[in-house]
Amino acid sequence: MKPGSRSISAKLMWMNVVVSATVLVLAVMAFFFYDLVSFRQNLIRNLTTSAQIVGANSVSALTFDDPQSAGTTLQALRSSPDVASATLETNDGTTFASYQRAANVPLPVAMPMEAGTEDQAWVKGTHVLLAHRIVFQGKPAGTVYITAELNETGQRARQYLLIACGVLLICMVAGVLISGTARKLVAQPLVALAETARKVSRERDYSVRAAEHKDKDEISVLVEAFNEMLVQIQERDTALNRGREQLEARVEERTAALRAANRELEAFSYTVAHDLRGPLDAVQGMVYILESLDREKREGERGEILDHLKLATRNMASLIDDLLNLSRASTAALKKGRVNLTGIVTQIAEDLKRGEPERRAEFMIAQLPPVEADEGLIRVALDNLIRNAWKYTSRHEGACIEFGAINRRGETVYYVRDDGAGFDPKLNDQLFQPFHRLHSRSEFPGTGIGLATVQRILARHGGRIWAEGAVEKGATFWFTLKSGTSVTA
Amino acid sequence: MVVNLQRPRQGICGWRGPARVLLTAVAALGVLIVPWAQAQKPSRDDVQAAYLYNFGKFVRWPEGAGRGSMVVCVAGDDSFGRTIGKLVEGEQIDGRPLTERTLDRPDGVGACSILFVGATRGNEAESFLAATEGKPILTVGDAPDFIAHGGMIQFVQVEDHVRFSVNLEACNRHSVALSSELLKVAVTVTGKAGTGGAR
Repeated sequence: MKPGSRSISAKLMWMNVVVSATVLVLAVMAFFFYDLVSFRQNLIRNLTTSAQIVGANSVSALTFDDPQSAGTTLQALRSSPDVASATLETNDGTTFASYQRAANVPLPVAMPMEAGTEDQAWVKGTHVLLAHRIVFQGKPAGTVYITAELNETGQRARQYLLIACGVLLICMVAGVLISGTARKLVAQPLVALAETARKVSRERDYSVRAAEHKDKDEISVLVEAFNEMLVQIQERDTALNRGREQLEARVEERTAALRAANRELEAFSYTVAHDLRGPLDAVQGMVYILESLDREKREGERGEILDHLKLATRNMASLIDDLLNLSRASTAALKKGRVNLTGIVTQIAEDLKRGEPERRAEFMIAQLPPVEADEGLIRVALDNLIRNAWKYTSRHEGACIEFGAINRRGETVYYVRDDGAGFDPKLNDQLFQPFHRLHSRSEFPGTGIGLATVQRILARHGGRIWAEGAVEKGATFWFTLKSGTSVTA
Repeated sequence: MVVNLQRPRQGICGWRGPARVLLTAVAALGVLIVPWAQAQKPSRDDVQAAYLYNFGKFVRWPEGAGRGSMVVCVAGDDSFGRTIGKLVEGEQIDGRPLTERTLDRPDGVGACSILFVGATRGNEAESFLAATEGKPILTVGDAPDFIAHGGMIQFVQVEDHVRFSVNLEACNRHSVALSSELLKVAVTVTGKAGTGGAR
């Protein structure tokens, strides 16, 4: 037997025993009091009958003055165990004959009878006195007095108690036997449930289930509810674990990104320092030469050195501007409004043509509807892209630069296409990294920051950028402004 | 006492001392005598008369015999007859009024239900008994040989009590049935109980 079941079946057993004992005690009490009352009535009835028989049998003895015969008659009362003593009195009140069950039993004390009655009973405590007037041939012949003790009551109480104890013992045995069935019906399912609950709490195993109960009662409801609870706990546990795994994955991902960003930043700082150092060294060198030239007064070389100085400072200024743009693209707050892309591109194209009027280049600019964006940033991005195209087509005669948009899978994809120098598609992933240049500075001037800036700006607008191209076959830069949105008319 | 005699104080006792003592003694004697006289045991005659009357209550006569009044006859004895007469006057047994009759001669027994023959009648007893032959008459006597002569109930003296013996054979012969109650208190019962007897 398992530890828990003993208590519950014991409780059931005690419940049985207590209920039956209570019922029994109440029943015994009821029977006892009923018996007490009926016992008195029966006793008085029996005494009356005895008195009448004695009286009838004593008539001749009284009539013919034969106390001995009357005594013999009274002795017959010995067969009636209720009778303690009896006397036979003549009409004038003298005792004619008497009977005592034992020598120490007192004789009846005669009481005056009510007129007109033949039998009369008095009950005093445990004593019963019964009087019977003997009437023969219409005349009183004498009186029989009989006393009895009710002390048999105590004996009866003891008998009742004995019977009650016996039945109680049987009840207890029956209770033990019945509790076996009760255990099967009530305790065992509960014990099984408790065992399951203990296992769940001990092993934290939410996949176990309590055994289903055959009967459809409260216990089966309990078992079902318990199992249902376990199902829910298991689901939540799984979800929690999944969430934790996802969280860990995300943390790892973020950590990796952070590490990459950190590396990038280090590289960036190094490049910035290195690239700024270059022009500065040039400036210093030129200034030194300029000093020495002053002393020797060689005017012819001064102008050339000053041109070198100008170029170096311009390179440095443009590098600083580009760095500022990149920084702004990353940190400045977005101020969105309606932006006309076509207008901006047209303006940039005109600026470029005005700057180098000798170049024969053609711009094909599509008429596009306005978009929601930060005009300043978008202008920087488009400026970079168009200037890029302008720059890399500088060695081609009759270059063509195209700006337009297509609708692909419900998304507006803008593009800037040129037929210039292009790039090696294998280096595609280096295009948008700052300071990574696919061409040498002597080939095409530039800081290597522009496309990185473009990518940042588009990313901040929720868009992305990618490129297609081949060496000397031109390049196409595709970009979106907001992922998943179509062109608004 | 002497002091009292010599110095009578009260006026109402104007009598002389000895006279007063005498008076007191007589009064005291009277007080003693009267209840003693009343508590005196009833005489043998009184008891026998009462028994005779009571026998009637314990006897069943054959059907058809003794309708009307129950006659208690006394053979010759005027004094006992008078005692019986006083006792049964106005009494009834089983609804039959009782009467007493004193018989001088046996030929009048035919009307009797109960016949008492005293011991003083001597030889007459036999002739009275002979006269009852074949008749349902309860015969009672107090002669010591009454039952021997064919009587039914015979008074006997046991110590100072009056008791009686019963001859059931005679009862059967005369078709007189005695109650078993009566037989119970009888000193002796001779003969076997017949159709009328119960013992």
